[in-house]
Amino acid sequence: MIKIKAKDVDVFYGKKQALFNISLDIEENQVTALIGPSGCGKSTFLRCLNRMNDVIDICSVKGEILINDFNINDKSCDVVRLREKIGMVFQKPNPFPKTLYENVSYGPTIHGMAQSKQEMDEIVETSLKKAALWEEVKDRLHEPGTGLSGGQQQRLCIARAISVRPEVILMDEPCSALDPIATAQIEELIDELKKEHTIIIVTHSMAQAARVSQNTGFFHLGQLIEHGSTDKIFKNPDNKKTQDYITGRFG
Amino acid sequence: MNLILFTFIVLLGFTSYYFGRKKAYTIQSTKKRLTALPQFYGYYLAIWCAIPAFIIFSLWAIFEPTIVKLLILSDYSNQGYLDNELNLIYEKTKALSRGQFTGEITPFIEASAEKYLSLRSIAQSSKVVIVLSAIIASVAYAYKRISSNSRTREPVEKFLNAVLFTASLAAILTTVGIVFSLIFQTIDFFKVIPLFDFVFGTHWYPAKAFVRDSSEALDPTMYSDTFGAVPIFAGTFFIAFIAMCVAIPIGLMSGIYLAEYASTKVRQYAKPLIEILAGIPTVVYGFFAALTVGPFLKELGTSMGLEVSAESALAAGGVMGIMIIPFISSLSDDVITSVPQSLRDGSYAMGATKSETIKRVIFPAALPGIVGSILLGVSRAIGETMIVVMASGLAANLTLNPLESTSTITAQIVVILIGDQAFGDPKTQAAFALGMSLFLVTLCLNIVALRVVKKYREKYE
Repeated sequence: MIKIKAKDVDVFYGKKQALFNISLDIEENQVTALIGPSGCGKSTFLRCLNRMNDVIDICSVKGEILINDFNINDKSCDVVRLREKIGMVFQKPNPFPKTLYENVSYGPTIHGMAQSKQEMDEIVETSLKKAALWEEVKDRLHEPGTGLSGGQQQRLCIARAISVRPEVILMDEPCSALDPIATAQIEELIDELKKEHTIIIVTHSMAQAARVSQNTGFFHLGQLIEHGSTDKIFKNPDNKKTQDYITGRFG
Repeated sequence: MNLILFTFIVLLGFTSYYFGRKKAYTIQSTKKRLTALPQFYGYYLAIWCAIPAFIIFSLWAIFEPTIVKLLILSDYSNQGYLDNELNLIYEKTKALSRGQFTGEITPFIEASAEKYLSLRSIAQSSKVVIVLSAIIASVAYAYKRISSNSRTREPVEKFLNAVLFTASLAAILTTVGIVFSLIFQTIDFFKVIPLFDFVFGTHWYPAKAFVRDSSEALDPTMYSDTFGAVPIFAGTFFIAFIAMCVAIPIGLMSGIYLAEYASTKVRQYAKPLIEILAGIPTVVYGFFAALTVGPFLKELGTSMGLEVSAESALAAGGVMGIMIIPFISSLSDDVITSVPQSLRDGSYAMGATKSETIKRVIFPAALPGIVGSILLGVSRAIGETMIVVMASGLAANLTLNPLESTSTITAQIVVILIGDQAFGDPKTQAAFALGMSLFLVTLCLNIVALRVVKKYREKYE
């Protein structure tokens, strides 16, 4: 089933065009990896999906992005509701300088999801459990989130993202600042999360894309060169550029 | 004469730089590798020119007057003069030699004056000769010494290090000197006025001390109820409080606007405009408060049936608050801007609105820095003088009514030190005691502010 449908998406930074005519379908409850060399526009595309590009003054997005058949670039789209449904995890772990508990309860609080302290406690506990962090931190929920290790911080950010039960989770190179062990933990977690969420992950590591994703899109110079099942892209790509990139001849 | 000599030495310095560099080039042209760039050879020679000149000049400045005095007064020894009489003779001699002596000219003094003039001219010419020969000798020595493998870079760097060190030492020593002069005068003051009376007394009336003739003996009892600092401390903190009531909300909100809401274009113009406020001299704020705000408040109050003094704490505090706005606004803007963008992104990505993000993430993260900026604002408010002198009056009333006039520590220091002052008088020393307490208060505030700011910095770096 198709969850997100991008049609002819163009993105401009001022006068410079960063993305050209991107059309891409994203399958529900699967992991889609976006790969490509630095500066190719894969992160920009990811940020279109929850309208994070709104934050950048000079950035403008054209084209349609349908999520559940609703165009999020339409004026009637409520960004607050949209971002409630589409969570995001960033490249560098960015926990708020607050306690672990406050970090996770942040989203549910601003969206008014818990009626009582008990409900909030439950949300925090389930989110941390789903992010495979509960066992490590359950005794220090009221200590600052910035005191955790890098991998723990990133899992905290994942817990924060899933606390509002989003349908889609966007991950922008979530493991690039982490060591191999923390990376393995996050990858395992991604596999688990796809049961309930649709996941789109931008990554520089081809091995990671091959390990975690079912579908892959290859970006180059602002264009989507090729997309399809990860198996096909990695074993038998149609495009010469994809082949070159996968085999490490450039990028 | 000294100026010409100085110019000449500077010229010599340039010349030796030139020769040093030239020698380096000559060495280089023989295909030898230099240990430093040619400029360093030049600087090296210039330093060899500057150091002996500086040493001789300072020695001369220290010893010449003493030696001349000794030589002049040796004529008067064994004649039974007392020390201060000898000093007087020396002063008369000097005055006569400058042609400024108006009293009766005795032959003795005339002879001394002539001797003085000849000694001075000998000293002057010998100084020129010694300085120039020392410079030439040292430069020549250094010039001969430099070769392809002599070290010139290290001495030049060391010299620079020493110059910079001296500059900072001068600044530090000045501070220490000021603090010590404050301390000693303050101690003298508390010998006459008990510390307890100063800290807990509720009557500040230094005018009472003005009536004392300095020839009269000092009677501590006449100062009871004169130097009780409670009213002016209360006034200081009260006016600072009013100022902060104006400055904190406006400054903070404009800081948040500039950092988070304003577009690049608005920010580009608004920020310098707000900072212009900080560049207005406080005298201008002072007469703005005294001539515009004060009378306006009085009229406004009268029309509402309130009794408002033309010189009110409200006028002074309010205008002082306006003066402090740019400090708080600009500093908190910087602090808020330095909160990492990743935190904003994290919050927006959760679906938070701009105001929620500011309230729940950015403001708490920036809070230590904002507190620091507020404390710096407070220490400015406490140290501000001109606005209070002009707009809030000089009578130290103990009151918490913002519509009455009060006075502050700084304003009282002005009152005490305007006009004639005698050293060693409690009236003058009171100013030092006030200055000392002001210094302590602002020092504590600054230490707290810096600590808070530092703590904040550690968090993100």
